[in-house]
Amino acid sequence: MQLQANPSRPTSAPFKVMGYGLIALFIIAIICYQTIRSGVDVSTTINIFTTRFLSIFIEAVPFLVLGSIVSGLIEIYVKSEDILRWMPKNPLGAAIGGTFFGLVFPVCECGVVPVARRLFTKGLPIPMGISFLLAAPFMNPIVFASTYIAFGFGPVLIGRFVITAIVAIVVGIIIGVFGKPEEVLRAQSMNTLDNLCQPTVPLNNKFLRVLQLAGDEFFEMGRFLVLGCILASAMQTLIPQNSLLALGTGQITSVIFLQIVAFILSVCSTVDSFLALSFVNTFTTGSIISFLSFGPMVDIKSTLMFSGVFKRKTVFYLVILPFAMNLLAGVVINVLMGY
Amino acid sequence: MQKFENKLFTDSDARIWTKTTILLGMGIYLTVLILSGNLINYINIRFAWLVYVGAGLFFVLGLVSLYAVMTQPKKADTSYHFQSENGNAITWGILAIVAIPLILAAIIPSRPLGAEAVSGGISLKSVGIDSATAFTRNPLDRNILDWIRTFANSNTPAEFNNQPVDVIGFVYREPNFLPEEFMVARFTMSCCVADASAIGLPVTFDGSSDLTDGVWVRVQGELKADDFDETFVPVIVATSIDVVEQPEQPYLYP
Repeated sequence: MQLQANPSRPTSAPFKVMGYGLIALFIIAIICYQTIRSGVDVSTTINIFTTRFLSIFIEAVPFLVLGSIVSGLIEIYVKSEDILRWMPKNPLGAAIGGTFFGLVFPVCECGVVPVARRLFTKGLPIPMGISFLLAAPFMNPIVFASTYIAFGFGPVLIGRFVITAIVAIVVGIIIGVFGKPEEVLRAQSMNTLDNLCQPTVPLNNKFLRVLQLAGDEFFEMGRFLVLGCILASAMQTLIPQNSLLALGTGQITSVIFLQIVAFILSVCSTVDSFLALSFVNTFTTGSIISFLSFGPMVDIKSTLMFSGVFKRKTVFYLVILPFAMNLLAGVVINVLMGY
Repeated sequence: MQKFENKLFTDSDARIWTKTTILLGMGIYLTVLILSGNLINYINIRFAWLVYVGAGLFFVLGLVSLYAVMTQPKKADTSYHFQSENGNAITWGILAIVAIPLILAAIIPSRPLGAEAVSGGISLKSVGIDSATAFTRNPLDRNILDWIRTFANSNTPAEFNNQPVDVIGFVYREPNFLPEEFMVARFTMSCCVADASAIGLPVTFDGSSDLTDGVWVRVQGELKADDFDETFVPVIVATSIDVVEQPEQPYLYP
């Protein structure tokens, strides 16, 4: 596998316009499909779509704002030299460090992206950043607690922990070793030159500058959150949840289906355990664990937010590698447990 | 919006003002959701504190942005760049996308998910944590979720025959239901609407054809195990059905 430098400019206008146009077309297609299929009038479909969209957005946006403020704090108070001095140099150490960084730095999947991006601009090693990005939404005390409340101390909690750690470390090493920073990151995520840092209207007070940077960061990342919420709610309106759920009892198919469900639902990692409980009666244990370890790593909204940090090719690997590894882990668990 | 006769009011100024307006607008929107009670149409009330935090932070960010733009000297030679810290300008495109939630919230009336949002049928299975309270509770105090959990712990649908039922939900029908059949249904929600799923209890009632889909009803009656939609399940044989207002909390929380 090789990660090649993306020769195209990171923000090419025609691509963007096409992307937005496709999303718009997609949503129109969904509304038409829904209307024809169910005979429900268009305004009702729009209403349902809006309720779903606003719901995901309202649930996620406080975390994004918190993440943006942490990002602002890092920008003002953390020096690049500190990062370079304290961070492990070898990829394995960096990946392991990144995986458990969330324990001291609790952020969920909406907050982790702005934080990771800011740390990259400070010179954070790639394997560490990738592992942090993938693991942190689960590797923090809040999500441990919610998983424990939902499932108790047993195979699900242990499996979720082990698989998340393994996948995060391995993917961190793969991307970190095979790709140079300039091939992995978008240009904006890696300028370490301080003179490029120009806040909107520079305020003198340090703390006010933190908040000001946080405001800018919110817009930088917020657009991906909004687009992600639009896609996630559109998918939910298009694909009946129960029809997916009805499909999965097989050793392999159940894992694939729940991972797809996790990707589409884009539920926050702090509460996905409670959602997973509703699958317990129908689905294999391996698929539940894969749902819980894959969902916080990658879903529609985080994929879109990744594209604000990484080049397109890296985003692709960031989705496909965790998907494949979690799938493998889920199937292995199913085989071991004799489903 | 703001009126500026000043020639120095550039495109970049307009974007900063728009940015400030959106930040404050987010704060106002979340506050309105809390005050109007519409928040429960979107998220589990257990997580309402998150929205309080979010609203407060948006006001802080908005006010800082406002302060920054107000205190900025308006001279031609101090042509500051409207750029984010990474040298990437916050364009009109970005502003427009981030404004989408505010625009949708403003033009589309807030409503919880109802019967039209049920896609792919209603689950007769239990969801969420099995709560022991569901079984100790007086049958008349059980809601739809409690009943479904109670049923899930039994292998004999007939066990519940003659137990009294008093539940509130919306009317849901599938095309193959008989005229006197419908389901009294609710959406359950652990976190937000993203994980909402519909659950319901089968009802038979002779006058039920008068009830339109989606209308909220209070169903009183007794359970009797019977064939419903080709499965043998406890069915509510309704003695009275009243059309009621949508409950303050439209969702059930597992």
